[in-house]
Amino acid sequence: MTLLENIKTVCVIDDDKIYVYGLKKLISIKQLCPNLLEFPNGKEAMDFLVNPENQSALPDIIFLDINMPVMDGWDFMDHFVKIKSQLGKKITVYMVSSSINDDDINRAKNISDVSDYIVKPVSPAKLVELFNLAA
Amino acid sequence: MPEKINTSLADKSGNIDSFADHYLANEQLLNLLESTNTGLWERNIITNDAWWSPKFCELLGHSYGELELSYTFFINHLVHPDDRDLVYDAFKNHLRDESIYKVEFRILTKSDGYRWFESSGKAWPDENGKLSKMIGSITDIDQKKKYELELKRNQFLLAETNKIANIGGWELDTDTMEVSWSQQIFESDKMPLTSKVEINKALGFFEADQHKTIINAVNDAIDFCKPFDLEVKFRTPDSSITWIRTKGIPVVDDHGKCITIRGIFQNIDEIKTKELNLQASLDLLGDQNKRLQNFAHIVSHNLRSHSGNLQFMVNIFDEDISIADRTEIFTNIRSISESLATTIDHLNEIVKIQTEISKELKPVDILQIFKSTQSALDSNISETRAIICCDFSECPIVNYVPAYLESIFLNLLTNSLKYRQPGRAPRIVCNSYWEDGHPYLTFEDNGSGIDLDRHGEKVFGMYKTFHKNTNAKGIGLFITRNQIESLGGTIKIESTVNVGTKFTIRLV
Repeated sequence: MTLLENIKTVCVIDDDKIYVYGLKKLISIKQLCPNLLEFPNGKEAMDFLVNPENQSALPDIIFLDINMPVMDGWDFMDHFVKIKSQLGKKITVYMVSSSINDDDINRAKNISDVSDYIVKPVSPAKLVELFNLAA
Repeated sequence: MPEKINTSLADKSGNIDSFADHYLANEQLLNLLESTNTGLWERNIITNDAWWSPKFCELLGHSYGELELSYTFFINHLVHPDDRDLVYDAFKNHLRDESIYKVEFRILTKSDGYRWFESSGKAWPDENGKLSKMIGSITDIDQKKKYELELKRNQFLLAETNKIANIGGWELDTDTMEVSWSQQIFESDKMPLTSKVEINKALGFFEADQHKTIINAVNDAIDFCKPFDLEVKFRTPDSSITWIRTKGIPVVDDHGKCITIRGIFQNIDEIKTKELNLQASLDLLGDQNKRLQNFAHIVSHNLRSHSGNLQFMVNIFDEDISIADRTEIFTNIRSISESLATTIDHLNEIVKIQTEISKELKPVDILQIFKSTQSALDSNISETRAIICCDFSECPIVNYVPAYLESIFLNLLTNSLKYRQPGRAPRIVCNSYWEDGHPYLTFEDNGSGIDLDRHGEKVFGMYKTFHKNTNAKGIGLFITRNQIESLGGTIKIESTVNVGTKFTIRLV
């Protein structure tokens, strides 16, 4: 598997430790990306993104969970839409959730900055595809 | 008029032999009588000989002299069989106590079948003072009688229909504001059968909470000529409550003013009771259905997250990975299996709350339960230096499931202690009271609060956590809500971030 040159950093925002472990493991097995940022909720991720010191470390892809404490996926997107122009970088956002609720799916599809809604678990093949689409 | 004839007859009775002669002799008088469409008859009570006047014969479709001059013949062949007793009884009574002889009965006409006639007459004594003859007249009342019978039949039919339909009529005179009602209302609704009742007094027959509706409807009918159709609770004089449907139609005069309201009054108690029961069942079913759906959603969602992770781990396991990775993945699988078990335990707990229909309600001393819950959390309370005040004097005892009340207090107290505002000793106030016939509990703290604009809907959801607190599980309030709702209560939350949270619980 070849490393995608233009995807250097991936960000996972999820409070499910096992899922984060799995995603990390899969990315390293498939050698999809060298750097991985992880945050247990939207708030911490947002704090990181808006901090100018992290300008060079901004991710290329964000895998965003919906149900999280403190700041959930929806709230994160509300903030993200407002700050994205200041980031100076195109970031692909995938919403990843175990919810198969139509309300959630439609809501995510209606956010133009969300590139896709993926129902957990993410299969290895799907993960590769998502990386290729973002590259 | 008959008096005169009789007088003249009496005068001449001595020298006239046949009945006919003395009538025909006074031709002028006879002509006059016959021109009024009245037939004359005379009957000898002893011999039963009879005389029928020309008009009498004509009324029956015969020509004069065609009818046998015999009363026996008349009664046996011309009077309707069903009416013979009537005629005979009237005659007998007349002879006995001189009661008025006036009978309506059917006589067979020559070509028109039976027709109704009214016959009246009087018995006269002979020279010995013995009643010997009867003189009288008949008139054709067929048309009138038929109308009368038709009317009677219609009235009967209407009364029967009303009785079957449980309908009565009423009328309100807008001038005097007096109401009168039909016999049917008196019978089926046990209303007193008085002629007229002042509307305010009539209002007293209805349940107090219905008065406003009725007054408004009546006023609208009077002021705007607007008809109404109401279903109201009616209190019969024996104090039982009956559902009544009443329709009112304004009767408007030439000037557009409502002068009367006419209406019906129908007993719909049976059908209304059924409707209400049906609605209650429907509400219950709807409620249960909603909770079931919600629960199915919870089950699917919470199990999905675990099964998703399991699948995820298995997928990675299939990849080309090292022994160390495999060990790590297996540790994760074990952890998933534990979470899965915990989730299923939680779900079971909810199922138990939902399905324990036969929960035993018993009088519970709120203070006692509160104190015992408080002592179970003793170490937490002293550790956080919480001040807890409670006052259950307004509603000290409530019919409840003791274990639920304990669980409710435990969850709320734990939450208040867990989500206290840093740097501030928790202050918790818990009270009980009655309102609108329901027992209420309020539970208020000065903790960190929650942004309800953001999280409002989710506060009582399963596995919803909002703070960074790592021991938050998102199960407490979910169970609390389920317990409260399963007993028909409600729970509401008010909260301000950094100020505190207040729960208002309607227990039953």
